[in-house]
Amino acid sequence: MRRSGRLRVALAVSAVVASAGLLLTACTGETPVAPTTTGAPDANASVAIRLVLEPGNLDIRTTAGAALDQILIDNIYQGLVSRTPEQEIVPALASDYTVSPDGLTYTFTVRDGVTFHDGSAMTVDDVVWSLQTHKADATWADSARLARVAGVAADGQDVVVTLSEPDSSLLWNLSGRAGLIFKKDDTIDYKTAANGTGPFVLDNWKQGDSITFTRYEEYWGEKAKVAEVVFDYVPDSQAALTGALAGEFDVLTGFDATLKDQIEATGDFALVLGKATDKWVLAMNSTSGPLANKEVRQAIRQAIDHEALIEAAGSGLPLYGPIPPLDPGYEDLSDVAPYDPDAAATLLADAGADGTTLTLTVYNGYPTIFAQLLVSDLDQVGITLKVEQVDFPTWINDVYVNHDYQLSLVDHAEARDFENWANPDYYFTYDNPQVQQLFQQSLSALDEAEASEYLRQAARIVSEDMAADWLYNWQSVQAVSTAITGFPADNVNARINLAELSKSKG
Amino acid sequence: MIRYALTRLALLIVGLFVASALIFVTLRVLPGDVAQLVAGMNATPAQIQAIRDQLGLDLPLPAQYAAWIGGVVRADLGTSLLTGSSVAGEIAQKATVTVPLGILSLVIALAFSIPFGVLSAMRRRHADGTALNVTAQTLAAVPVVWAGMMLVVVFAVWLGWLPAQGFPRAGWQDPALALRALLLPALTIGIVEGAVLLRFVRSATLQAVGQDYVRTAAAKGLTRDQALVRHGLPNVGLSIITVLGLQVAGIIVGAVVIEQLFGLPGIGRMLVTDVANRDLPKVQSELLVLTGFVLIVGFVVDLVHRAIDPRLRQAEVHS
Repeated sequence: MRRSGRLRVALAVSAVVASAGLLLTACTGETPVAPTTTGAPDANASVAIRLVLEPGNLDIRTTAGAALDQILIDNIYQGLVSRTPEQEIVPALASDYTVSPDGLTYTFTVRDGVTFHDGSAMTVDDVVWSLQTHKADATWADSARLARVAGVAADGQDVVVTLSEPDSSLLWNLSGRAGLIFKKDDTIDYKTAANGTGPFVLDNWKQGDSITFTRYEEYWGEKAKVAEVVFDYVPDSQAALTGALAGEFDVLTGFDATLKDQIEATGDFALVLGKATDKWVLAMNSTSGPLANKEVRQAIRQAIDHEALIEAAGSGLPLYGPIPPLDPGYEDLSDVAPYDPDAAATLLADAGADGTTLTLTVYNGYPTIFAQLLVSDLDQVGITLKVEQVDFPTWINDVYVNHDYQLSLVDHAEARDFENWANPDYYFTYDNPQVQQLFQQSLSALDEAEASEYLRQAARIVSEDMAADWLYNWQSVQAVSTAITGFPADNVNARINLAELSKSKG
Repeated sequence: MIRYALTRLALLIVGLFVASALIFVTLRVLPGDVAQLVAGMNATPAQIQAIRDQLGLDLPLPAQYAAWIGGVVRADLGTSLLTGSSVAGEIAQKATVTVPLGILSLVIALAFSIPFGVLSAMRRRHADGTALNVTAQTLAAVPVVWAGMMLVVVFAVWLGWLPAQGFPRAGWQDPALALRALLLPALTIGIVEGAVLLRFVRSATLQAVGQDYVRTAAAKGLTRDQALVRHGLPNVGLSIITVLGLQVAGIIVGAVVIEQLFGLPGIGRMLVTDVANRDLPKVQSELLVLTGFVLIVGFVVDLVHRAIDPRLRQAEVHS
């Protein structure tokens, strides 16, 4: 066996060389440069923003999903009016607008000197065509939101929108997808290209990776303060954190609040908490089984320790009804079904439903901690909760389309979506004519205060009917580099207006 | 040899057709469809139906299958339901990440499994040989995700030598940068796959050591090691080539998982996203390409094996 020494050495050497080669390559990396806190704004800056959810395609006319609104509205495409993060309506492609006293005629003065990204001028014709097509073509998202629009016509530089009956949500809707202005009969492939009027131009989409915007130099308003913005789609929180620590991102949206110590330790990032309209809805199918009984639904609500749940989530606000604080009609409804496991157990015993088994259908992309807490909370009052984790298309099919569920947990991110509680065909299975009437009254109200009051009344009824439970109102958490200013704090899941974004020279 | 190759080719083609049918049917069992996802949570049934019509989702299944396979035969892998872009183009683009990742993983697996496998066999009665074998047994049992996370902790977080995630936006324009991005992922797959391979090399070597021809060579004056190197290792190599076909499948599965973990824009990550989007025409072509690749590698391995193993050639002559 002594002779075997040579062979052994040769083999060992080849193995060492192989590993050393790897290590040598590994050692050549440069150290990332940390951003500095001082310095003048850099007009040539490129800003990298981590986002979570990538859109399936870029056709904002027909493809649903907040991932499109988030980046395309305000930055690429604009409407006659826009909304601020505080949900105020402000003029955009209209320099001004007036509403007739009867609430039936809206007159918008279209801004002069606006051009599309392909260089052509935006005309009143484009505006009329966009609004008319949006109303007429059912495949366009939010088409139904223009249901009360009777006509759209040009009058010189004005566009006049007439309604069949007053609609207190019209301006709000026009500040969203329903009001976006496209070039008339444009021939671009909207799925992969864009031609809007906003301060940024779509430069490039690397599917599965990133979307890049560059500054539109011919923009009608104040030009963007950075040359380039790159949206990097990184679903994994840990990967996003390590990327930020290595200096690869300037802003992390959807930051996992439980990782905040690690990012704050760098000194290069500050955490920004923002308001949002996300409602984590524990929907209850009340059409059959134990959940048809209101006492059982109330017991479930009183059994859930919402404060503990928010603590586990890392950040968020309690929410005990269908309307979050950012939306009109909000009211603190914490008195309706306060946390009280003993009362819950009594309610269940009265209803003869203790020992019941229920199934929760939940999208598997969410943190599992929510389902775990629900299982233990309900177990304490005598309900066995089975958790079924499904992917999003399965959730859509089983719960949303076929209403085949008992309990479901989904984050409803959309602002002003109270209409779903007034729609008996929605998967919430909630059908109360009084709520439906109040919702119609709020739509037809002539002023905002009146509209909000109807919604407030309706929301209280929904909560008192124990139509569902609202686990909490999600708060957006962002880690923003100290070199960055002007990144919006609120409602960034819905849209990220980049007009004020700037980066200092590092 | 030619008759063998033709028979084997026919088997390959039949295999591809069976695979395509299985892929097609399995995907149709998935609940939910792309129209619902495109239309979103506030869509009316009319809107969803309009999108279904537009995308041709309501065509009978046999017609859909025939259209797909007809295209594949003409080298047309179809287009994505969501973006309308060509699936072949997408795969080619993502392959610039996945193919180098696979090759690098394989090289790493071979670079440490062959020397250490032979070493572990020759030193089987010594502490170091046993330690090697136990280490390999352990590594082979490690889930690839866990291995990846450990490597990230050591090389990216503690030592800061390599990026923890992502791929340069400019792709291979800066090859050194791109290679650095692939090193940790490739190391992860390479170590786990290599550990499996190591145990195989070890047992193949042990078998060779016990063969008559090695003993005969030793009796004719060679040392045991010399005999093993000259006569044993070529036989070990033959066995490795056979098992490589299986390794390629392992590496592809590893790549799907690892691309998620490291945020690499490759075929594996694209596949997972497309399944979540129910972009079935795209998913079925992607799966067929991956399956086809594994089957073709198996085909080539069989031919190579046949060509270099004199015993099989002779068996053919005598039959």
